[in-house]
Amino acid sequence: MQILVGIKWVPNTSNVRFDPKTGALIREGVPSIVNPHDLDAVEFALDLRDRYGGEVNALSMAPPSAIEGLEQVLGMGVDSAILVSDRIYGGADTLATSYVLAHAVKRISNQRGKLDLVIFGQETIDSSTAHIAAQTASWLDLPYLYYVRSVEIKENGFIAVERWLEDEKTIYDLPLPAVLGVAMKSREPRPVRLIYKIRAKAEKPIEIVTNEILKLNPNCVGLKGSPTWVSKIDYTPEVKRKREVFMDPDAGKAAKWLMQKYADEDINLIGGAHR
Amino acid sequence: MSEKESSCPEWEDVEKKDYRGIWVLGDIHGGRISEASLQMLTPAKELATKLDVDVTGVILGSKISKVAREMFYHGADRSILVDEPSLGTYFPEIYASVMAQLAKRFKPELILIAGTMRCREMAPCIANILRVGITADCTGFDVDSESRDVLQIRPPFGAIMLASIRTPFRRPQIATARPNVFPLPKRDEGKMGKIIRAEVDVPKPRGRLVNSQSLGLGRVLLEKADCIVSAGKGIGGPEGIGLLEELASQLGGVVAGSRKAVDAGWLPADRQIGQTGKTVKPILYIAVGISGSAQHVFGIREAKSVMAINTDSEAPIFKYADYGVVGDYRDIVPALIEEIKRTKLSRPNQLAGMEGMTQRK
Ligand SMILES: Cc1cc2nc3c(=O)[nH]c(=O)nc-3n(C[C@H](O)[C@H](O)[C@H](O)COP(=O)(O)OP(=O)(O)OC[C@H]3O[C@@H](n4cnc5c(N)ncnc54)[C@H](O)[C@@H]3O)c2cc1C
Ligand SMILES: Nc1ncnc2c1ncn2[C@@H]1O[C@H](COP(=O)(O)O)[C@@H](O)[C@H]1O
Repeated sequence: MQILVGIKWVPNTSNVRFDPKTGALIREGVPSIVNPHDLDAVEFALDLRDRYGGEVNALSMAPPSAIEGLEQVLGMGVDSAILVSDRIYGGADTLATSYVLAHAVKRISNQRGKLDLVIFGQETIDSSTAHIAAQTASWLDLPYLYYVRSVEIKENGFIAVERWLEDEKTIYDLPLPAVLGVAMKSREPRPVRLIYKIRAKAEKPIEIVTNEILKLNPNCVGLKGSPTWVSKIDYTPEVKRKREVFMDPDAGKAAKWLMQKYADEDINLIGGAHR
Repeated sequence: MSEKESSCPEWEDVEKKDYRGIWVLGDIHGGRISEASLQMLTPAKELATKLDVDVTGVILGSKISKVAREMFYHGADRSILVDEPSLGTYFPEIYASVMAQLAKRFKPELILIAGTMRCREMAPCIANILRVGITADCTGFDVDSESRDVLQIRPPFGAIMLASIRTPFRRPQIATARPNVFPLPKRDEGKMGKIIRAEVDVPKPRGRLVNSQSLGLGRVLLEKADCIVSAGKGIGGPEGIGLLEELASQLGGVVAGSRKAVDAGWLPADRQIGQTGKTVKPILYIAVGISGSAQHVFGIREAKSVMAINTDSEAPIFKYADYGVVGDYRDIVPALIEEIKRTKLSRPNQLAGMEGMTQRK
């Protein structure tokens, strides 16, 4: 199987701060990480390779600092990595991002002569749109499914894809090539092994693809190729709550206090006569 | 930023004024429409008033003409219906293609889509076929009166900030919102509307649905629960879940948790509340050992009442709670269960035949 996994290099959003005056994101001092849900996707791909053979390549559109993230997934055992990076790709929304990714996928597919699966994480922690997989599939005109939990290869170039929605579990047969979004937290990503990292560095340097290579129209990428604009940023308004706090360490008293509070409310804690 | 659109040959220029009206896509499964998609009629109607246009419900599927009525009962002025046997099996790109064809033909200025799993899957593909923008997980909308652009408000990077997103040059505008972010409009069976039956080319499916099985029938959906007892990292381990389950069962509720509780493996991922989990609107939300991060409390904005139990009197959760108790949940929760049991015993006849215990008067 020839598999490509999409990786996003994201600011570690638990540390993100905003400039209270301008509302702009303060990026300085905020370390980036591989989007955690993409590690599930990497694990998913490596597991397929372990079972069926083939190759897993990682693909990221990002600034050069993302090399560190690609090295991390090489350390997990990914065979090679491609960084798509160009200043003119900056500021892209999901339409413009998926446009570049789709062209990168085509290029890789042509180079290798074959591509079976393009695998993405479910969503990113910095924007959590879950758009990219569907949009990349759409540019490539490939079938796709989200929330995928397992894949089996069938005959005649089909795979059986199991995925879970809110209320149902479905199995689809899809023809290859196809695009999959892997369910969040559905895997336990394998650890990075130094030996893989070193070997990858020595034998397979990360390929850097700029727009000189992809030759995309500058009006279709980055900020210019993005239909959506961020026009302003504000603080989230707070919901008004009563904020009454009971501090007495006696648990029995605390419980009685709570019961009394809800008896006074128009909320009936223990049920009763009102429906 | 320049006010002129750069032209990418991948898309044609559009005349914004040719696009009028607001659509709500119906999320239909098993012949029923999801509440989440009916909730989208709430912002749709507000925006329709501001823009002085109609609201159209769009309904795709096989043998689904009855569903159109629900759209009317909840406030749609008309419905576009595509009722085709070939839409009996859902494929995201096929549904997206049908929606895109309709949008090209009827030219709405805005399409609102619920953030259910199916819709989150197909919506970006609709946007892509139309070569337009899409904003996920909006929490509010407004209109820029000069340009008629819809301001799509969503949290970027964690839930602390809100960004306004505009699509100044492309139409239609497309936005999704998570279930329960907007309230369900009042249902009125007296309301009717016009049904427009549309014909489209349904693309041939490239795969096939082999099997579908309903997941855990009878499981109370988190999105619909009246009472949620939620576990945080502070419960200390999986053994704490049992205690919370007991409290939940006393209240006719269900157990959910914070991301840290889910990451620790104490709860399945679909039980996570918050920005990257579920948005819920119970009558009562009980946060146990949850610190109250912005990302977590984002998911409980619509809760009617929030109770918090935390050992740390400085924990931010107390700012987001109506009634808080400072203490170890291992003491407080059993005492609360006791108290509930005692109250029930003292008022047995009120409880006859009651299952769900938390309710609105
Ligand atoms: C992009 C992004 C998205 C996120 N999305 C979500 C999301 O959807 N949902 C979510 O929940 N989080 C989300 N998070 C994580 C979030 O920032 C917090 O890390 C998380 O909510 C904290 O979980 P917690 O409150 O359970 O744990 P902690 O913050 O560790 O809090 C534990 C609390 O338990 C209390 N405690 C300890 N012992 C006891 C005891 N015996 N009795 C009572 N109280 C006790 C402590 O005082 C403390 O306040 C997200 C983060 C990012 C960056
Ligand atoms: N810049 C990028 N480069 C490569 N893959 C990406 C990029 N952005 C997003 N992805 C992939 O698309 C998935 C969904 O991202 P998103 O739509 O941003 O929530 C992620 O989990 C990644 O697998």
